[in-house]
Amino acid sequence: MTTQSIAIAKHRFGFGYYRQLYWNWLIGSAFFLGGIGGATFLLSLITGFRPGMILGYLVVVVGKNTAHLSFLGRPERFWRAAMRPDRSWIARGIWATGLFAVSGFVCLLPQGRLAGWAIPAVILSAAHVVAMVSAFFIMFYDGFVMNSSPAIAFWHSKMLPLLILMYASLGGTTISLTLRELFAGEDPATALLSQAEHVLLVVNFLLLAGYLIRMSRWTPAARETVRLLIRGPYARVFLGLVIAVGLLATFLLSIVQNVVGVPWLVVLIALCELTGDFALVMVLLKSGLFSPQSPPARQALQVLHRPSEVRERLTEPSALME
Amino acid sequence: MARLGMVIDLRRCIGCNACTLACKQENGTPEDVHYARVITREVGTYPATKRTFLPVLCNHCEDAPCAQACPSGATWIRDDGIVMVDRNKCIGCRACAVACPYMNRHFIERGLLENGYSTDGLSPYEAVKFAEFEEGTMTKCTLCAHRVDAGLQPACVITCPTDARIFGDWDDPQGKLQKLVDERGGWSLLPECKTKPKVYYLDE
Repeated sequence: MTTQSIAIAKHRFGFGYYRQLYWNWLIGSAFFLGGIGGATFLLSLITGFRPGMILGYLVVVVGKNTAHLSFLGRPERFWRAAMRPDRSWIARGIWATGLFAVSGFVCLLPQGRLAGWAIPAVILSAAHVVAMVSAFFIMFYDGFVMNSSPAIAFWHSKMLPLLILMYASLGGTTISLTLRELFAGEDPATALLSQAEHVLLVVNFLLLAGYLIRMSRWTPAARETVRLLIRGPYARVFLGLVIAVGLLATFLLSIVQNVVGVPWLVVLIALCELTGDFALVMVLLKSGLFSPQSPPARQALQVLHRPSEVRERLTEPSALME
Repeated sequence: MARLGMVIDLRRCIGCNACTLACKQENGTPEDVHYARVITREVGTYPATKRTFLPVLCNHCEDAPCAQACPSGATWIRDDGIVMVDRNKCIGCRACAVACPYMNRHFIERGLLENGYSTDGLSPYEAVKFAEFEEGTMTKCTLCAHRVDAGLQPACVITCPTDARIFGDWDDPQGKLQKLVDERGGWSLLPECKTKPKVYYLDE
């Protein structure tokens, strides 16, 4: 290794960037399912579309929670994750998910009746409000979970929760739209969701580009992650699945769908968008890097680019003692 | 009230990894779990090259991001500043590991405690020591809290053959730590993370 570049360390005794290996695809799945499930439920609740509410509820309560529990080292103690909402975003998320499970269930009761008992209107209204707020929270709190880590520079940005929220919104819009086109047909809400999907695709593309530009001017570790995403081992997934399939193909296919109106095309659009959505969460997790640990004086040596400069500097006894 | 910490003199460190081994022996950590380790780096370009050594351990940060991230309250800070993990409260979410910039949190994977370093089960020593760990939970350097409580110094400190590690109390104005940093200037790792580490380094 030369002083010009810092490589990714192969083990913890080596010097370099360290890969984030703690959070794997199960956490990625939980984040992904929480985002799209919460958004699907919220949009369906607002537009009064019951199949969407049921699907969104199941995706969060069954899908997201199963992924989380499968990941935990001690799943039987999962309830302990709710103990410190004062400082941990994971704990806040647990509370939100719990509130969502209860309030969402009440919202889904047919005619607001449970085992023949008519639930008072006040409780129903309160459940609707709590379900909406908690579903919205579930859409983006993962962004704060990641953003609160000072260790991984690529995540430690205030833009990340916004990016996660917008991607969750896009996923939820796509699922709601697909369900509506398959089961409800054309109505004003479907047309509105279709327009919203186009806007969100453009907004997410710009947001993603903005995020990468910001990170490319951030710390060396963040810049290295951008390099991994654009030219490194994650480029295929990022450029291929996140950008090409998830955004561009989805956008083009949705325009074609608006013109020709083929029913099966909506399923393909949803698959493309959700693939890009999941791929984004995964590359965000996988490409996270811990910064190298080194003395300040050593970091100064890294800015030397010509070997002769390094040699000249290092052959001076005083330089070696710096 | 104390603020226990350490100063590591890089001028004295020879990269022998005695601290790494002493820590493993004292704490009986499973395979691939190293509370103390030495990061080795080659700098320069041939023929003007040099190896540098950076001994690292948990920094027992005052603003410990691992404690902030822990949703269950399993990570806690003692009155003397030592950051601890209560394995009975840990749920194994690994949020602390993701939050620690120094990568000094370790997850005990499933099956890790079933086999020791030899291929045929646990040695009597491992059988005793591994009982202090629990699969599916996090573990970390305790600054040898059990030794400190008995009035002893951490194993890595007493083992270091060059006395590169100096253990003490940052709140003691007459103590060695403050004096050394005042005299020679000291720095901590990744100050940009604003964790306020209690492990400082003296330049080579």
